[in-house]
Amino acid sequence: MKKKKEVEKFDLSQEAIKINNVNLYYGAFKALNNINMKISQGEITAFIGPSGCGKSTLLKCLNRMNDLVDGCKIEGKFEIGGQDIYAPKFSLQMLRKNVGMVFQKPNPFPMSVYDNIAYAPRLYGIRDKTSLDEIVEKSLTGAAMWEELKDCLNKSALALSGGQQQRLCIARALSVEPQILLMDEPTSALDPISTAKIEELCSQLKQNVTIVMVTHNMQQAARISDKTGFFLLGELIEFDDTEKIFSAPSKEQTERYITGRFG
Amino acid sequence: MDKKRNLSITKEGVAKTIFALAALFAIVSVISIIGYLLYAGLPAMREIGIFKFLFGKVWSPGYEGAASEKFGILPMIVGSTIATGGALLIGGSLGITIAIFLVYFCPKGLKMPLTQLISLLAGIPSVVYGYFGLKQIVPLLAKISPNGNGTGILAVSLVLGIMILPTVTSLAKDGLSSVPSKYFEGSLALGMTKEQTVFKVMVPGASSGIMTALGLGIGRAVGETMAVIMVAGNSVQFPKGLFEGFMTLTGNIVMDMSYASGIHRSALVATGFVLLIFILILNGILYYVKSAGKTWEKDERRKLRQLKKAERRAQKTPCKVVMFFDRLNDKFIASNEKVKSKLKACRDRVAAKFGKVFNKDGGNRTYIAKNGLYKTLKYICCGSVIIMLAVVAYLLIFIFVKGIVAFRKIGVINFLFGKAGSGKISLAPAFVSTGALILIALAIALPIGICAAIYLVEYAGKSNKFVKIIRLFTDTLSGIPSIVFGLFGVIVFNDALGLGYSLMSGGLTLSIMILPTVIRSVEESLMAVPLAYREASYALGAGKVHTVFRIVLPSAMKGILTATILSIGRIVSESAALLLTAGSVRNMPKDIMSPGSSFAVMMYMFVSEGLYMNEAYATAVVLIILVTVINMLVFAFTPKKEKIK
Ligand SMILES: Nc1ncnc2c1ncn2[C@@H]1O[C@H](COP(=O)(O)OP(=O)(O)O)[C@@H](O)[C@H]1O
Ligand SMILES: [Mg+2]
Repeated sequence: MKKKKEVEKFDLSQEAIKINNVNLYYGAFKALNNINMKISQGEITAFIGPSGCGKSTLLKCLNRMNDLVDGCKIEGKFEIGGQDIYAPKFSLQMLRKNVGMVFQKPNPFPMSVYDNIAYAPRLYGIRDKTSLDEIVEKSLTGAAMWEELKDCLNKSALALSGGQQQRLCIARALSVEPQILLMDEPTSALDPISTAKIEELCSQLKQNVTIVMVTHNMQQAARISDKTGFFLLGELIEFDDTEKIFSAPSKEQTERYITGRFG
Repeated sequence: MDKKRNLSITKEGVAKTIFALAALFAIVSVISIIGYLLYAGLPAMREIGIFKFLFGKVWSPGYEGAASEKFGILPMIVGSTIATGGALLIGGSLGITIAIFLVYFCPKGLKMPLTQLISLLAGIPSVVYGYFGLKQIVPLLAKISPNGNGTGILAVSLVLGIMILPTVTSLAKDGLSSVPSKYFEGSLALGMTKEQTVFKVMVPGASSGIMTALGLGIGRAVGETMAVIMVAGNSVQFPKGLFEGFMTLTGNIVMDMSYASGIHRSALVATGFVLLIFILILNGILYYVKSAGKTWEKDERRKLRQLKKAERRAQKTPCKVVMFFDRLNDKFIASNEKVKSKLKACRDRVAAKFGKVFNKDGGNRTYIAKNGLYKTLKYICCGSVIIMLAVVAYLLIFIFVKGIVAFRKIGVINFLFGKAGSGKISLAPAFVSTGALILIALAIALPIGICAAIYLVEYAGKSNKFVKIIRLFTDTLSGIPSIVFGLFGVIVFNDALGLGYSLMSGGLTLSIMILPTVIRSVEESLMAVPLAYREASYALGAGKVHTVFRIVLPSAMKGILTATILSIGRIVSESAALLLTAGSVRNMPKDIMSPGSSFAVMMYMFVSEGLYMNEAYATAVVLIILVTVINMLVFAFTPKKEKIK
């Protein structure tokens, strides 16, 4: 695929994401406390922890969606591919193009399926119909719904079922070929069958995309992730291989949480 | 890469500046209106002397510079005040009782038709009301009048009363609906009847909303022009009785403005300035009432006071008091620990008292006896609705019957589309003029209003001071009477810019008048667009401008359409401002620089010349049909209440 305006990519080969001594405040409230974390390319990382512990907050820092929140103050350093994404000269567009996001509640735009997916490519300057068609097909295939939707590309996205809408949102995020995909409880609003489909999709996407996912569902984390981070009250209690976290956590709080004794 | 980034940053910056400037426009408008009226009215105030101008008892313009010239507006000030008082007495009491009926006693199926009927009433042009007054109310009054004269204070009060009724009703309704329903439930649980609850708890609870409703009613009545001059009798003297001719501030302006010059003209502008100052003060008071009535602390204190009252009442009415307090405990005041503990103490005291004397029926007697009063009040509310329906039916039937007869006489096609000119009367020029006025006004007000709304919703924070100031000024702008806009238009567009009587000048004036409507309804529809759409767009790397134009605005299309239709409604029914700025010719406008009359102005001219009553009736029919269609469109496009939340 040839684009007119190629936005540069991150070089994730050394290290995908590095989070260094991060504190985050919403006004006077400290929502994240001294977070340190490294994530490598091609892995699926899961954030787990009781509600309100700062998982979404940390996730949103990675594509700077917190910039939109009034009174949000961030200390410390976020690096993606070795670049400081909060550096004053850093391009927000480049960041968000390469770090896609899928939200908890499916939020397709009130337009057709086709226009939803073509939205971002158009934003980045792709106008000609053939390229757009190609991207739409590729993205929908990537989200495993091309067969389902190829005959109703002009249907309103709002007419799809909840599970379809969420996969459409994934396809929309894929339309600009992100290197990293952030997913904030992508299945919490969905039925079990749609959930299974999305989990399967994540495992497929893994080959091309580094995924960071927040989930409230521990089985989900155990099933699909390579690494798991456990958060409690704004702190990263433990971060390790998923297998280890679920079989032999080193911290007592982690064990109590995964065995269901609190949260 | 860097260059591109800078480019998009400057694009964002430029857009933000444009939106902010548009938002400033409302402030600039209000300030220029005040400034220009002061500027053009100052010569008169200086020459006459402010005291002599305000309190002079004689208004007699003569030959310019003649010694006999006197410009005292006291008779008009008194006239406007008394007429407004009368209107408030009639329209205010009817409006409030109708609102109470609509919110609490209205059968479900009736609510919507009644609400729609009231918004239709609000849209009927003042010339139609005035004509109805002239042809029906005045002759009726003449029969009971001791001097055989129907015009005067009573006629004006009745007409203005009907005209402010929709304003008062809809605002009082908003006020009543905003009283939390937990008061209602709590009071019922105490054993009070529905009527008692409504009149003792809910209506007092809505007092600030009701005050606002009455205040805006006053504003509307003081500023009304065209309907007043048709029924006031228009002699510049102190109103001596209910059936004596008199003059209002607005009436005097519109009657004299067309020929006045020099000091006379300046004195008329100064009159408008006095009117404007009055409206500004009124707005200030309303703003204060609104913001004072809302603070959380006050609310909490009021709740406590009501509890104390409930306690006192409980001593006489041993009903389900304890239950009431229990329910209150978890519903009414769960927010504040201190209040909660006070409440608990209160509950225990009452419970202890009634532990002994509680019996099932005994205490209810006083209570049922008293309920008679509230039942009566309820019937009064129903009565008001019936009065309103009767008046509306009378008005509509009168206009339509006369209108159809008139159409028969003068020929529908001929009258609507025939060629106007030498002695031939046709509405065709009015179609063209009204259309042109609408186009000009919308072409200016829509872009500015939409940009301003975008700034307010998308750029400024919610608690931003700038936003509050802009809101205050937009509200102020929407409260300014049309005659004042008319004067502003004359001074700035007709004279200073040299446009003269022209559609252009009228359209420009209208664009300022409809700006608040546009801003507000676009703002509402932008706020209704889910945040999630914006988030999704930002997460894909889109900037603010891109998101606003590609995602937010398309989703808000319905609101923009509503704004457009509402504005068209306002333009169609406008007359006073247009009479001053666009003139009152009866022929086809050549271009937008030539004068032209809208339907409403045309109808006023038919009436005022006294020669074309049939044409006036027919135009009234056209106007009412237009207004009804506009109303139905607005209704169809406004999102239903549940959705907003
Ligand atoms: N925009 C915000 N403003 C203020 N506080 C916030 C905001 N967003 C989240 N918080 C607070 O930060 C904490 C962490 O929130 P969040 O990251 O959403 O938790 P999680 O996703 O783990 O449930 C919570 O206590 C929440 O109340
Ligand atoms: Mg969350």
